[in-house]
Amino acid sequence: MNQMTDTNLMQDAAEEPGLWTIISPVNREIYTGMTVSLLSLVAWLGSIMLFLPISREITSATPDPERLWLLLGISFGLVALSFVCRAWSFRISHLGAFRLEQILRTELTTRLAQVPLGYVVNTGSGPLKKIVLDDVRSLHAFVADSTPLFAKTFAAPVLGIILMLILDWRLALLSLALFPIGLIGMFFAFRDYDVARKKVDQATERINGVINEYVQGMHVVRTFDDGSGSFERYRKALNGATETMREWTAQSQTGAFIARTLFAALPTVLVLLAVGIPMYLEGMIELSILMMFLLLAPTVTESIVPIVWLQQLLTNAAAAVKRIGQLRQVELIPEVSSGRAPEDASVELKNVTFRYEGREDNALTGVNITIPAGTVTALVGASGAGKSTVAQLIPRFWDVDDGALLVGGVDVREMTADQLLQSVAFVFQSPFLLSDSIKNNIRLGQPDATDEEIVAAAKAAQAHDFIMNELPDGYDSVVGERGSSLSGGQRQRITIARAILQDAPIIVLDEATAFADPDNEAKIHQALAALAQGKTLIVVAHRLSTIVDAHQIVVLDKGRVVESGTHNQLVANGGRYAKLWAHFEQAQGWGLRVAEPSSAT
Amino acid sequence: MIETFSNMIEACGSKAEVMRGSLVYAVLSAIAQGMAYALLFPLFAALAAGSDEAWWYLGGIVVLVLLDGLFRLGESHGGWRVYIEVSDETRTNLGEQLKRMPLEQLAKRQTGDLNSVLTGNVQDVVSIAGGLFGIVINTMVAPTVTIIATFFIDWRLAIAMLILFPMAIPVYRTIRAAGARENRISMTAHADAASHIVEYTQGLSVLRATRQVGPESQRLQASLARLREAQVAGTKLVTLPSIIMSALVQIGILAITALAISFVLADSLSMAAVLALIVIAIRFSEPLALFANMSSMFDFMEAAIDRIGELLAVPPLPQADSKVGVEGSHVVFDNVTFAYDQTDEEVLRGVSFEVPERSLTALVGSSGSGKTTITKLLTRFADPQTGSIEIGGVDVRSMTQTELMRHFSVVFQDVYLFDDSIEENIRLAKPSATHEEIIAAATAANGHEFISALPNGYATSVGEIGGALSGGERQRISIARAILKDSPIVILDEPTSALDTESEVAVQRAIDTLVRDKTVLVIAHRLSTVVAADNIIVLEEGQIVEQGSHDQLLSKNGRYADMWHAQRADRHWQITDTMPAET
Repeated sequence: MNQMTDTNLMQDAAEEPGLWTIISPVNREIYTGMTVSLLSLVAWLGSIMLFLPISREITSATPDPERLWLLLGISFGLVALSFVCRAWSFRISHLGAFRLEQILRTELTTRLAQVPLGYVVNTGSGPLKKIVLDDVRSLHAFVADSTPLFAKTFAAPVLGIILMLILDWRLALLSLALFPIGLIGMFFAFRDYDVARKKVDQATERINGVINEYVQGMHVVRTFDDGSGSFERYRKALNGATETMREWTAQSQTGAFIARTLFAALPTVLVLLAVGIPMYLEGMIELSILMMFLLLAPTVTESIVPIVWLQQLLTNAAAAVKRIGQLRQVELIPEVSSGRAPEDASVELKNVTFRYEGREDNALTGVNITIPAGTVTALVGASGAGKSTVAQLIPRFWDVDDGALLVGGVDVREMTADQLLQSVAFVFQSPFLLSDSIKNNIRLGQPDATDEEIVAAAKAAQAHDFIMNELPDGYDSVVGERGSSLSGGQRQRITIARAILQDAPIIVLDEATAFADPDNEAKIHQALAALAQGKTLIVVAHRLSTIVDAHQIVVLDKGRVVESGTHNQLVANGGRYAKLWAHFEQAQGWGLRVAEPSSAT
Repeated sequence: MIETFSNMIEACGSKAEVMRGSLVYAVLSAIAQGMAYALLFPLFAALAAGSDEAWWYLGGIVVLVLLDGLFRLGESHGGWRVYIEVSDETRTNLGEQLKRMPLEQLAKRQTGDLNSVLTGNVQDVVSIAGGLFGIVINTMVAPTVTIIATFFIDWRLAIAMLILFPMAIPVYRTIRAAGARENRISMTAHADAASHIVEYTQGLSVLRATRQVGPESQRLQASLARLREAQVAGTKLVTLPSIIMSALVQIGILAITALAISFVLADSLSMAAVLALIVIAIRFSEPLALFANMSSMFDFMEAAIDRIGELLAVPPLPQADSKVGVEGSHVVFDNVTFAYDQTDEEVLRGVSFEVPERSLTALVGSSGSGKTTITKLLTRFADPQTGSIEIGGVDVRSMTQTELMRHFSVVFQDVYLFDDSIEENIRLAKPSATHEEIIAAATAANGHEFISALPNGYATSVGEIGGALSGGERQRISIARAILKDSPIVILDEPTSALDTESEVAVQRAIDTLVRDKTVLVIAHRLSTVVAADNIIVLEEGQIVEQGSHDQLLSKNGRYADMWHAQRADRHWQITDTMPAET
């Protein structure tokens, strides 16, 4: 049995080659933990074995009290030793597991800084948090709990059997005879275990998915009906999953019941007695030996139970290992150790072709754009045309598949990350703030900035007034704490202040499309103007009116540049841009009305 | 402990009876086991005397083992099946509660939290209850039965064993307290680490630029170090008491054995009894020693039961049962004052206005002025503290949820689509709709063309193409829903503001169809879109400062006029304004 499960476990582990590699930094703790746990087991078995001389002494005609107390004393000592070792091993393996957690988290977060930024942005902070925090955490149970368990579940039956063989080989073989019977039970119980388990896992996953959808959609759904429609969907999916669970239980119940009943202590005791009683009555064994078997044999049979736990721990760890492994396999963005600094603030895309991993179509095909230093370039096009991709390639969120992207005349792949990111600032649509003071949030743009510089940047970004007047502790107010909740527009202005402080010569701006209210919008426009002053500006434009005066408007469609020029040139061309512009003007002129214009008041 | 049991039984809802039955079987099975072990005393005595009576006792054990098996069968008959039904039932109840509870309460809870209650907490209760309770009952009942039987063999030993149990209680308490403390410490540290990791991933582009990444990212590294410290401290906190507990049990059992041996030496106990005692004591020592470690599971489960109970306890908004005669879609807000739950700040103060049937009313004002709150109260997100809201002459509080919702279609900036076909996503608004009706709605919403171009047309699953739908396309699907629903009142929350130019035109056309001849309430940021409104309500800090038509408000030269002029000016704002002209 042990052998069989052992190989199963090894196979499972082999399917996840990552597991052993991932936990290898704490091998020392794992092995020590195993050894000490083994020691605890040996001490415990030793204390049990002492009951043989103790009982012999008692059953003898003239028991020697001194020898009895000595034996009991040693037994006490061994039990104590066993507990000290158990505590020690618990501690070693847990502390090791915690150390592993920290090592892995540092490694993974370092790695996140080296993979394409686009991977980080596209994966999203939620799923990444899950890997770095939760998945790493679920390895803890495996490392901390299963390593001592490993030693115990495999060593306990082996040692137990050896001891029994030494005591009386006939009785030992008999008590082992129960094993095959139990094995058959286990075989039936776990015959389709893997298949069924997978089904159940899928059902569980489906339940979780349905719940997630139901909960997420509830706010919205409640506004167009009373929730009955989506509740029906939820109910139906729940029913289906529950049905799978029912089938699984019905299928596995009998086998599991047999296994649980056979691998319990009492049946073993029963069989031993049935054979042991006549053997004793025939004078083949002494009563003390029978007692020793009653002590040892159930320990061997019951060691099967933790193996099931172990299996569960491995299954749980496997999913986490897979996700951690995937993150570890994301290709690093190759970085040169000493790069060439950009020569000016120009940007050039030379015949750039780029495809997102896993997609069939190119996101960009043969794109050529030249952006001289100090000019304003607008990228326009429908959603999916590739304008955001161009914007993301400049700060090297991704590497191009073909062609080259030059910043200041230097290929971005020949710069170090900080050389590049010091020349390019990327202002996102969704502003990012640390839960730290306003001051530190702005300082992030330039860690050695003085307070005066920070205030100056905030003033330029139209943020100084609200920081001083509306926040409880001015620049020391901590974002997100009581009284320091910021509106979307305010957050945006703080990120702009940070970019102003960073003072990168090239600004990539994904123009925010909607602002909370008109007042804010005007202030953000002023802040952006301050930021853009004297810089090379690349704007992903949504509202065409803001970029009418751009030095260059690049129109993208399906990943290709279809035209470029100034607003007037493009409108005169009567091409794609002219159409966009017409649409824009039409959209601007639109107004809501509930009745035909003729009858409107 | 008893409390946990009864909480758990209660949590089983309609399956409580089966559950109780299952627990009774578990107790019976434990009693049979305890008695079987107790039979070892006379059995060993008979063996020591070389008597054939031993066979009778063995027969007794056989019967008890068989009984044990039967009882276990009875237990498992309820067993897992009950837990599956219970989790199904609990999830259904929670699902119903979500659809019934006031939206304000719903909005207060984060999606992630709700999710974890419906998935994780239900799972916790069920799996712990399923796996653990049998073991716990067994560990407690079987030894107790054996101890009681020991009274017949030797009362001194029985009393010694009985004393051992209460001795463990204070240690057990310490363990539970330590466990709870450790749990809190670790939860706080994990939450802290979580927010720092999120922060780190979100800020990577900025952090990379200033080389504050990996080992150099001080905030993150500090947080990870704090987490490990907390974990280590927590482990230290629980290790000692749980070891003491185990040691106490094992040493205690050895002490009882020693006591028994001393009785033998004093000739007041038979050696056979000691041998039987050793077997029994060692048999029970391991489970008893491990018992303490299960206590954290109980805390876990109780916390889960609490969280489920807390969610189920949120009272729904009071609803009228009777059918009421709503006539038309005339909306009246009468002196409405409202503050969000558990806040003192009134976000609406004495707001009164009317929206005549088939008219267009716009709500304008800066963020936080109360525009969204007004639409939320109309759909009964929550009830106002004072004042009343009427639709068609009937107070919204005296309508059923279904009746009330029949009146509205709401189109938001964000569109939520279910992972189902496009057709089903539209049908959600009117479950009885035919395929033709759905096509008609989609056509009216300017969506038929792009939907037909999808790989499977209307049958295309949203999940499969997910990101491939643009914001404008999603918006048109949501408008098709609203058109299909054909409710008399339409509420719009600036549905076009997040769209690119081309989508915007398409969505605007769809909205034109949707709002025709409806009573419309719109939250507008861009004032130019509501110039034709019958009434424009200007809000500031929860109060109506002005209302009237565009022309009326302009001539007043008040707040609206200011906003209008500011937007006109900003409309011509250019990103190049501060740039040097042609270089």
